[in-house]
Amino acid sequence: MIYFDNAATSFPKAPGVADAIARFIAEDAANPGRAGHRMAVRAEEMLDALRLKLARLFNVSKHNRIIFTLNGTDALNMGIKGLLGTSANDGHVPHVITTVLEHNSVSRPLQSLADRGVIELTRVECDDDGFVTPADIEAAIKPNTRLVIMTHASNVLGTVQDITAVGQLVRERDLLFFVDAAQTAGVVPIDIQAMNIDVLALPGHKSLLGPTGTGVLYVGERCPRPHLDHFNPWREGGTGGDSSTPTQPPIWPYYLEAGTPNTIGLAGLAAGVDYVIEQGIENICKHEQQMVAKIIDKFKNDERFTLYGTHDATKRVGTLSFNIAHYEPSDVGTILDDSFDIAVRPGLHCAPYTHKQIGTFPAGSIRISPGAFNTDEELDQLIDALDQIAG
Amino acid sequence: MTQNLERYHRQMLLPGIGEEGQKKLLASKVLVLGCGALGTVIANMLARAGVGHLVIVDRDFIEITNLQRQVLFDESDVENAIPKAEAAKMKIAKINSQVAVDAIVDDVNHTNIEQLAQGCDVIVDGVDNFETRFVANDAAVKLGIPYIYGGAVGTVGMTYAILPHTPNGDSPWEQAGVATPCLRCIFEQAPPPGMNPTCDTAGVLGPAVSIISNFQVTETIKVLTGNFAAVRDKLLSIDIWENDVRQLKVARAYDVGECECCKKRNFEFIDGKFASSTTTLCGRNAVQMTQKLSDGEKLNFDAIAKRLESHGKVKANKFMLQAHITDNGDAYELTLFTDGRAIVKGTKQPTVAKSIYAKYVGA
Repeated sequence: MIYFDNAATSFPKAPGVADAIARFIAEDAANPGRAGHRMAVRAEEMLDALRLKLARLFNVSKHNRIIFTLNGTDALNMGIKGLLGTSANDGHVPHVITTVLEHNSVSRPLQSLADRGVIELTRVECDDDGFVTPADIEAAIKPNTRLVIMTHASNVLGTVQDITAVGQLVRERDLLFFVDAAQTAGVVPIDIQAMNIDVLALPGHKSLLGPTGTGVLYVGERCPRPHLDHFNPWREGGTGGDSSTPTQPPIWPYYLEAGTPNTIGLAGLAAGVDYVIEQGIENICKHEQQMVAKIIDKFKNDERFTLYGTHDATKRVGTLSFNIAHYEPSDVGTILDDSFDIAVRPGLHCAPYTHKQIGTFPAGSIRISPGAFNTDEELDQLIDALDQIAG
Repeated sequence: MTQNLERYHRQMLLPGIGEEGQKKLLASKVLVLGCGALGTVIANMLARAGVGHLVIVDRDFIEITNLQRQVLFDESDVENAIPKAEAAKMKIAKINSQVAVDAIVDDVNHTNIEQLAQGCDVIVDGVDNFETRFVANDAAVKLGIPYIYGGAVGTVGMTYAILPHTPNGDSPWEQAGVATPCLRCIFEQAPPPGMNPTCDTAGVLGPAVSIISNFQVTETIKVLTGNFAAVRDKLLSIDIWENDVRQLKVARAYDVGECECCKKRNFEFIDGKFASSTTTLCGRNAVQMTQKLSDGEKLNFDAIAKRLESHGKVKANKFMLQAHITDNGDAYELTLFTDGRAIVKGTKQPTVAKSIYAKYVGA
C-alpha cells in the first residue's frame, strides 16, 4: 500500500512511536496525578515533559496552558464552547468571524451555536487561489465581534493562510484569535507570540506523527479565566490533585482535563514530536512541498486534470486537490486503491464550504496528501497511475 | 390451547400430521428469511397450514416487477410502496388470524441472524444472495435449528434440508437417526460476486419459484411435525423448462469433509469474516460496498456487462464498469471495481445499495 492520505492521519508514524507506546504500557501505565506512587508519578512526569516540549515547539511561555485532548475536534470543541458558552445570553450575542476554508470540526460547532442564537456568525470567502485576504476579515469586524477563528491551512487545498497578518489585526482590535492548526502543526512553524494566537487547537496524529486519540489545545492568557469570566469546561469530572472542590478546580491544565488522559497515546506522541524536532519542521515541509510541486508541474497544463488552489507549492502544505475529466472523485479513489494499491481521499473532506467555493460541491475532489515518509518512487507510481486512469 | 382446528381438517386427515401434528404446527415458530418470490409462497403456505408464529424479515419494498411471482402482493401494495414484510403481515392477518406474524423490515446479516433465529423451530430460506445463506447456515448449525435452503433463477431451482449435527448429537432429528450435511459441507464458499445469474439479470419463471418454495414448505411441515425420517436427505435440482429433475446424494459430504462450520464449529460467516461491508460515501448520494473476494480473484467485467446491458447503458474500461440501472422507477448508477467492490450512486441507504447489488450483480 502506498499511502498518500496524510492529511487524514499520518502513516507510517515516526520511528520510535510504537516502541514508546509499548514501553509505556509495559512499564508506566498508571493513572497520572491520581496517586503518589512511583508509577503514577512517572506517568505524570511523562505528561509534563510532553507539555513542556510542545510549549517550546509553539513558543508558549507557560506549559500548563497546554491541554491534552483526544483529537483535533475535541480540542476545537473545548476551545469554541469554552470561550463562547453553549446557551444564549440575554441581550448580548457575540459576533464570530470564520472562513469558508474551515473543517466541519470548526464550522459545525459554530453553526450550531449560531442556530441556537448563542453567537452571530460571519463566514469570510477565499480567493480563487485558495487564500483568505486578511483585509476581508478586517472588513467583517463589527462592534460586537469577539473572536476570529480560522484554519492555518485548508485541509482541501493545502493553502497556508497568512495568520500572522490576521493575528496582528485581530490583536490591534483587542479581539481573540483562535487558530486550527490541524494541517500545519509539525510541518509549518507556529509561534503563538509572534502570530498573536490566543487559542490553538491541533491533533497529535497528523504531522506530529503520533497515534490517533491524541490532541492538544493551547489556551492563552488573554482568554477568559476559569470561574471568574466563565471559560466553560467542556468536560467535568475527576482531575486528580484537588478533589475537594465541588466543580472543576480553576487550575490549568486540570481545569479542562477531566478524566483519565490517553497516557499511552501521549507517550507515543512524545516520540513523534521528538522525531519532528530532530528532522526539522522546515525540512519535512520542504519534502512535502516538493512532492506537491512535482504533481502540479506534471498536470497543471494537462486538460484532463483540474487542479484546485495555487500552483505555487511554497504556499502550501503537502496537500493537493484535483479532479479528472469524466470521472467521479470517488471512482478515482477506488480505482487507485483497487488497481494500484494507492490510498488517497476522495469526497468533501469534511469541508463543504470550501468545496462550494471552488465549485466542486457535492461530489468533491480527489485529495493527495504526501507525508514525511513518502518516497520519490512512490510519487512516480502515483503520477503514472493518475496518467493511466485519465486515459 | 383452545384454537379451532376445523379449518385444518383436510390437513389433519393425513396420517403424518393428524390432530397432534396440527397442534405442533400451531405451537411452532418459523423464521422466514426474505419475503420475495420464495418467501411469499413460504409465508402464505405456512400461514394457511397453521404454523402459529411466523417471523418474516425483508429489507425491500414492493415493486411492480415483483407481482409476476410474489403471491402475497398486489397492485395497491406497489402504489402504496409498502415494505414486503409489512404487506405480508397484513395479508396473512386476512388469510389466517390464528397466526402471529412479526414483520421485520431489515437486512439479514451476521450481526442480527442469531437474534432473529433464537427460539425458532425452523429457518426457511427465501433470500436473494449466497452470503446471507451462509450466514443463515452458520446460525442454524450454531443454534441447532433445521434450515431449509431454497433458491430459483431462470427456470431452475434447488432446495435442500439441513438437519444440523449438534455437539451432543441429541437433537430430536439426530435421535430419529437423521442429520444432514450443512451448506458449507456442500459448497465450501459463497460464489464470487457477478458469477451467477440473478432474477433481475437472467429473469425467472414464476412456477420455478413456486415449485421450489412449496418443496421447502413441505420439508418445514415434516420437521415441525416431527416426521424427520421423511425429510429428503438429497439436494433437489429441477429445471422445469428442460423437464430435468435431479436428486444429488450429499450425505457423505459430512463424513468425508472437514467442514469449518458443522464439524469444527467455527462460525466464520457469523463472525463476519466474509461479510460485505458498506460505507456511505462523503459528499455523494452513494454507498460503497466491499465484497470479500479470495486473494487475487478479479471480477469478470465482460460477463457482467453482457448481463446488465438489457437494463441500460453499460461502459467499462480495465479499471471499472459503470451501469445505469432503473429499479422500480429510481435511477441508480452502479460502479464495479476489479476487486468486487461497488459504489451504488442514487442512495445513502446501505440496505438499498445491498439490494441493488444482490439484484444486478449477485453474490
